[in-house]
Amino acid sequence: METSSKNKRKKFSPSINQIKVFILEHGIYVFLVLLILLSSILSPSFFKTDNILNMLRSAAVLGIVSIGQTYVIIGGGADLSVGATMGTAAILISEITKGENNNVAIGIIACLLVGVFIGLINGLLITKRNMPPLVVSLGMSILVEGARLAYTQGIISGRPAPFIRELAKIHGLFPVPLIIMVVLFAIASIILNHSPYGRKLFAVGGNPEAAKYSGIKVDRTVIISYMISGFFAALAGLVLSGYIGYGDRYLGTGFNLDSVAATIVGGTSFEGGMGGIGGTIVGVAIMTILFNITLMLGLPINVQLIVKGLIIIAAVLMYSIMQTSALGSKSNGANLLISRIKSKVKVRKEAK
Amino acid sequence: MSDYLIELIDITKTFPGVRALDNVSMKVISGEVHALVGENGAGKSTLIKILAGVFRPDGNKSVIKIAGEEVELNNPIIAQECGVSVIYQEFNLLPYLSVTENIFLGRLPTKKSGIIDWKKANSNASEILLSLNLDIDPRTFLKDLSVAQKQIVEIGKALSLNARIIIMDEPSAVLAGEELNYLFEVIRSLKERGITVVYISHRLDEIFEIADRATVLKDGKLVGTLKIQDAEKSELIEMMIGRTLDETFPKSSNGTGKKILEVKNISTKNLINNVSFILHKGEVLGIAGLVGSGKTELARALFGVDSLTNGQIIIDEKTVKNIDPKKAVELGIGLVPEDRKSQGLVLKLSIKKNITLPVLKFFTKIGLIKKNLEIKYVKDHMQALEIKAPGINTVVQQLSGGNQQKVVVAKWLGTNPNVFILDEPTRGIDVGTKKEMYNIIRDLAEDGAGVIMMSSELLEILGMSDRILVMHQGEIAGELKSDEASEERILRLAIGE
Repeated sequence: METSSKNKRKKFSPSINQIKVFILEHGIYVFLVLLILLSSILSPSFFKTDNILNMLRSAAVLGIVSIGQTYVIIGGGADLSVGATMGTAAILISEITKGENNNVAIGIIACLLVGVFIGLINGLLITKRNMPPLVVSLGMSILVEGARLAYTQGIISGRPAPFIRELAKIHGLFPVPLIIMVVLFAIASIILNHSPYGRKLFAVGGNPEAAKYSGIKVDRTVIISYMISGFFAALAGLVLSGYIGYGDRYLGTGFNLDSVAATIVGGTSFEGGMGGIGGTIVGVAIMTILFNITLMLGLPINVQLIVKGLIIIAAVLMYSIMQTSALGSKSNGANLLISRIKSKVKVRKEAK
Repeated sequence: MSDYLIELIDITKTFPGVRALDNVSMKVISGEVHALVGENGAGKSTLIKILAGVFRPDGNKSVIKIAGEEVELNNPIIAQECGVSVIYQEFNLLPYLSVTENIFLGRLPTKKSGIIDWKKANSNASEILLSLNLDIDPRTFLKDLSVAQKQIVEIGKALSLNARIIIMDEPSAVLAGEELNYLFEVIRSLKERGITVVYISHRLDEIFEIADRATVLKDGKLVGTLKIQDAEKSELIEMMIGRTLDETFPKSSNGTGKKILEVKNISTKNLINNVSFILHKGEVLGIAGLVGSGKTELARALFGVDSLTNGQIIIDEKTVKNIDPKKAVELGIGLVPEDRKSQGLVLKLSIKKNITLPVLKFFTKIGLIKKNLEIKYVKDHMQALEIKAPGINTVVQQLSGGNQQKVVVAKWLGTNPNVFILDEPTRGIDVGTKKEMYNIIRDLAEDGAGVIMMSSELLEILGMSDRILVMHQGEIAGELKSDEASEERILRLAIGE
């Protein structure tokens, strides 16, 4: 009993070092809280119900894409075709349903299948042909957009079915997209942390060679991650088209990099094998609030971009500092360099 | 002024968990070819890296003198300034640059205008290479040269840096026949020029052909230095291996059981050529051979990492078709791969997640992993193998080499493997853990698995194996029963005699 009370007392008077470690390890949460505080000070209407609901609704779309992106990045890849998939789903649903509820089920299934198919092709090219993920998915994105343009001739494709519009509505205090997102987050998080597939994905992202030597089908695991990403991108595209109200080919623009940014800011390592859905939620929240507050303050788009860029770089910088300090403070690059320079100077002096 | 060009005195170097060098001294006479020999893990590479300025020796006792003057080789550049050049097995050359650019990298001669003087550079390169008996167009891309030619380019680069001491790290491992003779000629011509050569190898024939003196290391300690002229091969072998074959090895108590694995004439694109053997339950089959003899490639073939181009693998009387790692696991083959960090473990993940990676389906109910079952499984195996770690969620990167290796072994325990393949199971782990590892291997066999152990350490092969296969250039060079095997017989088979 005595020792435990001592321990407790210790916890309440942390040293500066402990605070440092805490801030580094939980930096992203600290940052989110600070951002919310700052936003509410800068803009009094930030905390108004309407604004909060609006933010949650738009966070949902980014959140849904980012789930898929998180899977892909944990597996050691990146998917830059999610934006194109979103746009395609949005147009496809409008083309198939033409504003009626008759074909909506078929429409939704078709959209999701297209998303999964795009992911499958991405995954096959990346694993079987051993091509770099960024290039493959970027190429795929351009290809899909081109194909879509050829099909629609650049004309806006009318309205999606009313059912799709329902997906993006706010009922009282419950924005439907948020509910969809929360459910998806929960499912995705359980699969990632508690299913064999999730384990395999972490192993494959962390060290594909060792995963192979453990009897894991590395290629299959990676391909599935891209199919999941395509699925979530298509779903996000549907929600977005319900939100916007028509199938426009510009839907989905910007979501490639935003979803990567939200994932990385949330602590998933771009090298693969590390991260999680929980961090991505925080990343999505930060990105959404940043966007919202610049709108509320009437700041021009350039300011928004600059701030966004800074946040991404700052987050990655923080994680890289965390990694170096985890490897032991004395053996970091800077110290090594200094010791080398010192020794060289010494030798020169002795030579004289 | 001493006669010695290089004096390494009382060099000690410790890595986490391993003492790589323990008070080793080596002296090299100016102008000689000095061989540095020893088994894998004897500390040769570490000693060379200290001389090359890559590693720093521990403490203050270690002294390095070059031409009688004490030096501190804190980085490779200082070592180079002292006239030391190392030619590593994997070359420090750039494949898509020309030979000239490789030789004068960063030091290409320029005209007054600051533009590179290609004419001068190429003729200088040609001159250096011709002095080494290599007549090629210096504008050739490096990638288009043979291995032997690349070695000469490396030597030429060293000469252009005014090297007085050229260290060659197992240059013969990648050469054969004529190429080797050519290398020897070059070494002799270097000697005539007064350049000192330190030659690392464990091929005895070469040492007797080219070296003046040899220093022998074993387990990080100095065994001795001798003059090749007065030495016998057997003497050198004895020094390399030592006579410490004692009770550190647990012997088998029961005889071997029925046939569990039969390999018939298998070949792969990756070195393995027409290999056949039989493995019984309860036996430890040792596979010996030099670096590059095909031991690892055999392990890869058996585990289905490399696909077979020919032959059959028969497990439990059943022929296995198109084996891949997943199938291998299902068939009860476990593999502890050669390089635990790149192949055995996902370093970023915890002990728990590494151990259960091949056996996730054991704990999976309705698509989800049952936490409690998994934790119990991991704790049981950690206890069985005495893995020392703060907890099951410790990231494996933070463990010592020995404990990491135990984690790799633990991955397979639960699969109750029929065939357990261990490729260099004790590489880079300390003596104490080595002993534990030997006991673990013996236990696996006693429990009814057929164990295949690949190792370059003869002592280990001799101590552990019930039967020994020796490999040479991807083929089985011979089979020895444990009572007829000796270091020398293995070595002779391993070098293809």
